[in-house]
Amino acid sequence: MSRFLTSIHKIDEAELNTLKRRVDIATAVAIFFIALLIVRLWYLQIHRGDDYSQLSENNRIRAQNLNAPRGNILDRQGRIIVTNRPCFNIVWVREDAPNPDEVLKKLSRILNEDISVILERIRSYADHPRYMPFRLKEDIDWRTLVYIENHRLDLPGIRIEVLPNRDYLHGDLASHLIGYLGEINENELKKLSDTNYDLGDQLGKMGIEKIYEKYLRGEKGRKYVEVDVHGLEQKQINTRKPLPGDDLQLTIDIDLQETAEKAMAGKAGAVVAMNVNTGELLALTSTPPMHLQEFIGGISTKAWNSMLNNPLHPLINKAIQGQYPPGSTYKIVTALAALNEEVVTPDTIIYCSGSYSFGNRKYGCWKKHGHGPVNLRRALKESCDVYFYQVGQKLGVDTLARYAQSMGLGKTTGIELENEKSGLTPTDAWKRQRYKEAWQEGETLSVSIGQGFNLTTPLQICRMTAATVNGGQLIRPQLLEAITDPDGKKILMFEPVSDGKILGTPEQLDLIRDALTAVVNEQHGTGRVAHLKNISVGGKTGTAQVIHLSTYKDVDEKDIPYKYRDHAWFTCFAPTENPEIAVTVLIEHGGHGGSAAGPVAKQILERYFAQKDAAENAKP
Amino acid sequence: MFRFDRRLLLNFDWVFLLTVVLIAIMGLTNLYSASHSGRMLGTPVYMKQLYFFLIGFGLVLAIVSVDYKVLLSWNYPLYTAACLLLLFSLLFGKSVANTQRWINFGFFYLQPSEPAKLALVITLASYYYRKDTGKGFSLRELTVPMLLTGIPFLLILKQPDLGTALMLLFIFVSMTLFVKLRWQTLAILTGTCLSAIPIGWKFFLKPYQRQRIETFMNPEGDPLNTGYHIMQSKIAVGSGMKFGKGFMHGTQGQLDFLPERHTDFAFSVWAEEWGFVGSLVLLGCYFFMILWGLNIAVSSRDKFGVLLAFGIVSLIFWQAFINLAMVMGLLPVVGMPLPLFSYGGSSLMTTMIGIGILMNIRMRRYMASS
Repeated sequence: MSRFLTSIHKIDEAELNTLKRRVDIATAVAIFFIALLIVRLWYLQIHRGDDYSQLSENNRIRAQNLNAPRGNILDRQGRIIVTNRPCFNIVWVREDAPNPDEVLKKLSRILNEDISVILERIRSYADHPRYMPFRLKEDIDWRTLVYIENHRLDLPGIRIEVLPNRDYLHGDLASHLIGYLGEINENELKKLSDTNYDLGDQLGKMGIEKIYEKYLRGEKGRKYVEVDVHGLEQKQINTRKPLPGDDLQLTIDIDLQETAEKAMAGKAGAVVAMNVNTGELLALTSTPPMHLQEFIGGISTKAWNSMLNNPLHPLINKAIQGQYPPGSTYKIVTALAALNEEVVTPDTIIYCSGSYSFGNRKYGCWKKHGHGPVNLRRALKESCDVYFYQVGQKLGVDTLARYAQSMGLGKTTGIELENEKSGLTPTDAWKRQRYKEAWQEGETLSVSIGQGFNLTTPLQICRMTAATVNGGQLIRPQLLEAITDPDGKKILMFEPVSDGKILGTPEQLDLIRDALTAVVNEQHGTGRVAHLKNISVGGKTGTAQVIHLSTYKDVDEKDIPYKYRDHAWFTCFAPTENPEIAVTVLIEHGGHGGSAAGPVAKQILERYFAQKDAAENAKP
Repeated sequence: MFRFDRRLLLNFDWVFLLTVVLIAIMGLTNLYSASHSGRMLGTPVYMKQLYFFLIGFGLVLAIVSVDYKVLLSWNYPLYTAACLLLLFSLLFGKSVANTQRWINFGFFYLQPSEPAKLALVITLASYYYRKDTGKGFSLRELTVPMLLTGIPFLLILKQPDLGTALMLLFIFVSMTLFVKLRWQTLAILTGTCLSAIPIGWKFFLKPYQRQRIETFMNPEGDPLNTGYHIMQSKIAVGSGMKFGKGFMHGTQGQLDFLPERHTDFAFSVWAEEWGFVGSLVLLGCYFFMILWGLNIAVSSRDKFGVLLAFGIVSLIFWQAFINLAMVMGLLPVVGMPLPLFSYGGSSLMTTMIGIGILMNIRMRRYMASS
């Protein structure tokens, strides 16, 4: 052993020194690599530290929005029209799925949906952060939900989200009023940037849902949970409970609304029922209705297009957006103007021979053989055109327009709903501006019986009717009865608003009301179909020509193509002694006002008074 | 053989030992945090690691009492034993994650690739010691060392454990370059290696290994699967920022986002909880240890001591560098523990033995000419 040890002590000094010099090189190499590590450390922790810090936060803390249940929409008696029901969505969190392909394959089997559909959906969220959940499938059924919940551990990355969805208890009732919800779009998101909306949120896109969005939506809650790498909750850190939205009580009465919609089934048109003294709208419908159910979870292009291309225009709220010549309902305006401008007295007699010649044209009365001698009362009752041609001619178009405007025509009524149309009240100045042409006197004749350039909405006519019989107040139609916050406190109450008095004295208005009563109750009255047994009803019929061509003049109504048929109007009020309710019905291409629109109005009045009786009988 | 010189005690390398203890303490602290939230059963890993350390220090004491030069006669038996263990583990080993890396010793699972690294260092040092290296090696003279490296290399590659296998190559290259190569030899070898890369890529790498490397080149390309580890590790390190999130407060580690957080990725946990400052302290300790180790090589009075010390230092250095670079996203993910810091008995024992040998060389620096 010792010999062995001496042998290794034989040292070659030169060789040893060379080796030791190489250690210096090795030292330099080590310093270089360690410096590299330090630089990298500095880069990660100091230079990019904030970024990584953010990433680690996102890794750890998941903030989940808790959606607030949207406020209910109630009728005037507090009956629920629209409420919420839980809707279960499948949500995908890419980050939580270590094996996305496998999970998605399983999911496609569970949903019985082609995987390409799912992948397409995922692709549309390509620029979404990986930790942000997004929806793969909305409103899944109960069985799918149970299956997924039971197989949760096999489906990492898949979660179930519960959202309150709209539940329309009465189907499409008042669909145009209520409107619908839709997913927020980029523009809205930008506009509402300071109000805590997120991508994927629903918001009101139309109607009450849109106008009262800020009351209905409530306040989102937020849940902060710490999750582990599998996305499983470790512990809840902090929760802010969502605040439900406010309940919205409408002035609408479900019964009346339903009656109106049933009566209008299969017809295109509008019905407005309103409290003549307060402007509370008891029913406001436009048919055909929109199918609200289709909008839940986003409407399909097919369903949208089918509504858009429907010739009966279900997407238009005809009560406020449909503009029709008022027809003979306009004679109320002409009559009032004639009395107030003292063009006629109640006793002035004008002879109707069935037509009136002006210039080189003959203006016919609807009754070809003429009414004979008529005064104002009879002219209104039997809707004599010749009488009003002559009165209107004396008044002139600008005077007529003044009265029409004072009764709320030619301007929006101020109802809460969006995109209300103003209609048109023609004047000399208007025509010069619009057509660069002077007004023709003959056109005044058309205007004075509600044809020609005249355009009105059903709501305007209803409001005009109310103003005629409520003592001359141009009352503003309103839809909102009250807003109640989740604590039950009323934060907004209905208050009647008057937009001024119409022209004319109370005596003149009484005269007209009397004549309108005769329309329904007396022999030869045009609105006799609306006659009620116990209640006295007053009203005015109207038939608005769609085309001026005389092509179809003598043709039977049923033989005229649908789109050329006349629009049928009926506007009425009751009881005549002390009016409470005004009802206006318009049926597009419905033909004659009295026979087509009258029965609809009658049903609503019947229902209204039956309800009132029931309420009175219930009292001790 | 057991002649004990009092000078030995005087020359005991307290500084080096202290550095090792310091790293050990940091490592144990870190393991405590890393295994805290884990759902592991039995003895907690930091306790196990502590036992390994205590055994390791015992080994250091045992080793320093015997002159390292006996390794000159033990090198081939050691080498043969290491290779046999590798072969045994391949044939009968316990499979973890589809690799045959472990041998069950009842109380302890041995990972034979760890001692194999040290055995290679000792064998190469002995071999080069016996050769005259003055003129540099020719290709033919390199046949034996290449063979010596190649056998364990292939056995480990077969497990498969690319990281450790590459480590053997690193040792071979470092030590061979250290003893000097002829320029021609160097050129031929470099050329051969470069041309071997595509072939190796195609025929020798397992798909998962290829994917790891591909992922490393483009981690964002597949952040869900293989890129996940790199991303999460970088997030952990980066989010530590200046002073860290605090002991036991690293969210990446505590909430399971970090893979292998008590073994290969232990440093991520450390960097996350102690920040740039803490990481610098740990890095500083390693740096000091490496420099000190190289100084041990320089101070040795005989060629074997120089070669052996250099070999061991390069073994520790490359492991540390590769591990840290991998954790920081500078290198692809390969199985490579951080010496003294990562949990793992085999690696820790091997490193402690290496440290024992280094201290042994240090203690005997004045005794060469006795």
